[in-house]
Formats: sequence, structure tokens, C-alpha cells
Amino acid sequence: MLQVSELESGYGPMQVLWKPSIRVRKGTITSLLGPNGVGKSTFLMTVFGSVTPWSGKIIYEGEEVTHLPTHIKVDKGLTLVPEGKHLFGGMTVYENLMMGAYLKRAQQYREESLELVYSLFPRLKERGKQLAGSLSGGEQQMVTVARALMSKPKMIMLDEPSQGLAPLLVQHVFETIQKMKAQVGLTILLVEQNADASLAATDYVYVMHEGRIKAEGTPEDIKSSDEIREAYLGL
Amino acid sequence: MLLEQLAGNLFQGLVLGAVYGMATMGLSLIFGVLRIVNVGHGAFIMVGAFVTLWLFTALGISPLVAVPVAFVVGLGLGFIFYYTAIKKLIKAPELASLLATFSIGILLEEVIKLIFGSEFRGYNWALPKIDLGVTVLPLSKLYACIGSIIIALILYLWFNKTRAGTAMRSVVEDTEGAKVCGVNVDRVYANSFAIGIGLTLASGVLLTMFIPVGINPYMGGSYTLKAFVIAVLGGLTSPYGAFFGGLVFGLIENGSYTLFALIPGVEPFALTRFLSFLMLLVILLIRPTGILKGK
Repeated sequence: MLQVSELESGYGPMQVLWKPSIRVRKGTITSLLGPNGVGKSTFLMTVFGSVTPWSGKIIYEGEEVTHLPTHIKVDKGLTLVPEGKHLFGGMTVYENLMMGAYLKRAQQYREESLELVYSLFPRLKERGKQLAGSLSGGEQQMVTVARALMSKPKMIMLDEPSQGLAPLLVQHVFETIQKMKAQVGLTILLVEQNADASLAATDYVYVMHEGRIKAEGTPEDIKSSDEIREAYLGL
Repeated sequence: MLLEQLAGNLFQGLVLGAVYGMATMGLSLIFGVLRIVNVGHGAFIMVGAFVTLWLFTALGISPLVAVPVAFVVGLGLGFIFYYTAIKKLIKAPELASLLATFSIGILLEEVIKLIFGSEFRGYNWALPKIDLGVTVLPLSKLYACIGSIIIALILYLWFNKTRAGTAMRSVVEDTEGAKVCGVNVDRVYANSFAIGIGLTLASGVLLTMFIPVGINPYMGGSYTLKAFVIAVLGGLTSPYGAFFGGLVFGLIENGSYTLFALIPGVEPFALTRFLSFLMLLVILLIRPTGILKGK
């Protein structure tokens, strides 16, 4: 579904990514683990295109998309749920969801997507007329994920969806991610600091450190390697 | 007697304020979407005024027709300056875009001076005056006021009801969020800058109705400053905030003029200008996000 090879990028003169390569198979949940500040978010933003790639190759559904602008990627079904709740605080929850279906391709499926979103997050239906900025942290996180689903994606990249949430909500987030894979058939690339929870929920794992991929394998492989767990995951 | 004069001036202030508000919407739109402060704002108002003057004196075209003409000229100028200068500066440090818009302003002033010369000019749009009891209002000012309100309403509807307008709002709210929804942010930047400049030129047309002989290549400066005060009053990123900020500013300017005129030995007009800067300072100190915005 997605193949990234030797990606390099950064901010100004500062290089953050040092040629990490990953592969995400269709219909799976793949996670990218590692402590804070190792370039995981930059990796997702570079794949999405909000950070410009310096070199490397991004292939999505067999097509090179390395330098395509973000709105074309969203139109092709690849979207990002950015870290830190980038929602439209001055718009209502409903308006936020409708913005998710902004593109013409997504507009056709608007009602259908809305139904799906409400079935995953019934709370959002109740909150429809409220301003998104007035919601609790967990509800805001739901809005950003739901908004991404409204764009009728094939693949979603989630950046720290459990960040700052209470343990019970974290569990709900991971359950929802599982549902998105099982019921909707989405492919998911997940970036997380919460190694425990993501190891339990994913099909394949990459471990990132200082902008490089240091290890990869099934969750079982990663869990059974004391070296990886101690060196990179702090488990 | 004084109260009557005050009421009359306040009414005039409201009429002028609506035009001030409209003349600030372009500045707020550009700042809201691109986060760029257009220091050359007043120069674009000046160009709008010259468009009006030229259409009227050379071709005999009514200033009312000049409004859409100036808007279209502004769109064109906006796209030209966006693609030649602004586009590269969006992610640059603020100083770069400040200098760029400042020099665009100077460029416009000098080009207009080359063409039209630097003396003060005006045009004589002979329209009747209407007596409202407390004050006498030239019909041209009334047209300017109504025109401003109509333009503000159109902008409001366009922002809230159209797809392109909603995309712009989403960028104002959160650029990163707009990107993940599939909004073509680069195009929104270009359109917003062009529309902002178009609105500013159109406001220049309306403002000429308040300055019968005040059209001059360097007239823009004082409007830039007023627009800053109004934009800050209205919360900087909201064009409608700016519109209401303009109403408040017009009221304060005209109201204080009446009161300052009571102080012997004082030139009231100079004091109103002082007051507007005092307001800017005070607002920035107490509520930098604007008086009229909830947040």
C-alpha cells in the first residue's frame, strides 16, 4: 500500500530524517514506535507532504507520490491525523466533519461517511452543534479522527492519537483503530509513544531512533527482544 | 445644542465607520489567512481612489461603477504581487513580508505619482444632500455607507455558504487541519491575497466620497494606520470583526472630534489621531486578541 524508501527531510538546515525506509501492507495496522523527538511526526508529515521531502521515494498504491501536494494525496485517499488536535475550533462539530468531506470525491459519500463516523463515535452526534473548541480533549481527538474518516480515505496516518488522554480513553482510541481496520478496511500507519498499547494493537512494528529505523518486526519479535525494548522503547 | 452637534457627528461617524470597516476587511482577510501584515495597505486604497478619479474625470464613469472595476483591478494586482513576491515569503520570518509589502506600497505610490503627479486632486460628483434633522448628509456618503454594508454582507455569505469561502475559513482556523481535509492551501493563499487587495481597492473608491479634494499618491499612510487600529479592535483575523471595529472607530473618531473642539486652543483633528493611537496601545496592552472577538 505504502512504501517509503530512504526518506530525508528536516527543517531549515536541520536534518531530522536520515533515510528511514518502511513498508505498510494493505489492510494492516503498522506502527512506528520510539521516544519523543526521534522524528516520528516529521516522518508522517513528510510522507503526507506538509514537510517537504529532501530526497527519497514515497510510493502509494504503486504510484510515486513523493512530491505531490497534500490536497492531491488526500484526494487519492491518503490522509493524516496530525498531532495536537488541529481542528477548527471556531466551527461546530458538524461543520468540522463536513470540512472533512471537502473534496468532491468525498462529498459524494458524505451521508454514508457521516453514518459510519456516528457509529464509531456516537458522542459526536450529540455534540454536533457545539463549537469544536469547547469540547474536552478526548472529544476533540474524536473530531480529528472522525474528520479524517469523512475524507473517504483508504489509508490513515495517525500521529499520537492517545497523547494526553486518560487510560480509559486510550483504550477506546485503540479499539476504534482496530474497528477502522476490521470494519472499514482501512490501512493504518500509527505513530505512538505508548509502546505497550500499540504493540498489542498492531500487525507490524518499526522502531525509530534519531531519524533512522533501528528495528522492525512483528509485535512478538519486538517484545521478545530485550535489547530493542531496553534501548529504544523503555519497557 | 452641543448634544445635537454630537448626535449629528456620531451619525456621520457611523456612516464613515462603515466605510472604514470595509476598508479594513482586506487587511484582516490577508492577515487571517496568510498571517502577513500588509504594510502597504493604504497604498492600495490610494490606487482605488485613483481608479475612481480616472474613470470619472477621463471617461465620465460613475464612482458606483468604479467599485466593481476597482475590485477587479485589485484582484489582478493581488495575483501579480502574490506570485511575484508574497508566495515566497509566507514561511519566511515576519520581517521579510513586512519589508516586501512596505516596498510594494512605495512602488505603487511612485508609479501613481509618475502617471498623475503629486498634487491633491478631486472630482466633483454632483449629488444632492439629504437633511436628516440632526445633520446634513451628502447622498454620495450614504451610497458609500450602503455599498460598504452590501460588500460586507456579500463577503459574509461567501465565507459561510460557498465551498471556496469555507476553505478560506478552515485555513484561518487551522492551516494544518485544512491540509488534511484536502484543501489546496496554496490556492487559498493566492485567492485570499487577491480578494483582500480587491476589497481594499474597492474601499478606496468608497473613501473618495468623504474626501472631495484629498486624492494624492501619498494619501494612503493615514489609512494604513487607521486600518491597524480597526483591525486590532476587531480581532485581527476576522473580516467581520474588522467591519464592526470600523463602526466603533468611526464613532470614536467623530465623537471625540466634537468634544476636542470644545477645548480652546486645540486642533481637534490632530487630537483624534492621537486618540486612535492611544486606543491601539491600550487595546494591545489589555486585550491583544481584540475587543469584539469572544476569545
